[in-house]
Amino acid sequence: MTLTREEIDQYVGIDSEKIKGPDAVCKQMIRHWCEVMQENNPLYLDEEYAAKTKYGEVIAPPMQVQVYTMSPLWPVAERKLNPMEHMVKLMEEAGYSSIVATEQGQEYFAPMKVGDEISYTISVDVVSPEKQTSRGPGYFITFLYTFVNQRDELVCKQTFTILAYNSIAKEGA
Amino acid sequence: MQLTKSESITWDEVEVGYELPVHEREITAALIAGGAISATHDYAAVHHDYHAARQAGADDIFMNILTTNGLIGKYLTDWAGPTLEIKKITLRLAVPNYPGDRMTTTGYVTKKYEAEGRHLLEIEFIGKNKIGYHASGKAVVALPVRG
Repeated sequence: MTLTREEIDQYVGIDSEKIKGPDAVCKQMIRHWCEVMQENNPLYLDEEYAAKTKYGEVIAPPMQVQVYTMSPLWPVAERKLNPMEHMVKLMEEAGYSSIVATEQGQEYFAPMKVGDEISYTISVDVVSPEKQTSRGPGYFITFLYTFVNQRDELVCKQTFTILAYNSIAKEGA
Repeated sequence: MQLTKSESITWDEVEVGYELPVHEREITAALIAGGAISATHDYAAVHHDYHAARQAGADDIFMNILTTNGLIGKYLTDWAGPTLEIKKITLRLAVPNYPGDRMTTTGYVTKKYEAEGRHLLEIEFIGKNKIGYHASGKAVVALPVRG
């Protein structure tokens, strides 16, 4: 079921409230990241090495920023739906219930140190017209994220594009 | 633990057109599911549940974008060492990384410039598997200068 521009636009261009991540930057989450990635950068792992750098201590991999703000599986966070969640719900109700990420851009600013608390705001930036893709009909939706630390210093600006598609309506499927 | 060499490549040593070393990575189910749940706290079912992935039209569970982004960041510092600072990564995903794939990552320098007192490079990278391009994009990094 194709959505109207009005239905889509009601969630575009509105900043969410600031949402604080559930975990502070910590050595455990850095190590779990490095374990899976096979990341051996001593700046993330070796305190002796990191102490001699301009940071004076280990930092988290900058690519890890969003991890500190991912919603817990349980218990479900009790807060208002943010514009991204509203948009995903709208898509889902119209049959575009499968989601795949297609693009991500991250620009890094302040480094993340152990104990830092990461928060973010998010908005829906652009929604494409309905497109026929190899996965089925769907919409490309781009979100903007701003990540800050507990001192309100900018840590990362992120763009994130998903395709919300209807895998059942795929032609020939 | 074998850590990255702590002497780094400097900005002076690199020219436009410089090719970064080729990196090969086996894509295991542990990397995909562990990358989603453990490394990036992403519980979307398509990254750990075969049936959910099939229902979404995929052949198998597939790598999440945050893991791909992490592997690209690692590719950059693996090459130049820990004094390389990652300023920006922009990537586009095309074909998925499935268990049993191998991703071959290549990159080359497309721009060398100075801005705000930093010595910067723009690097174009491609992560390819047997079906095609998994990820392609650009990174901006700062490197130290010699001396």
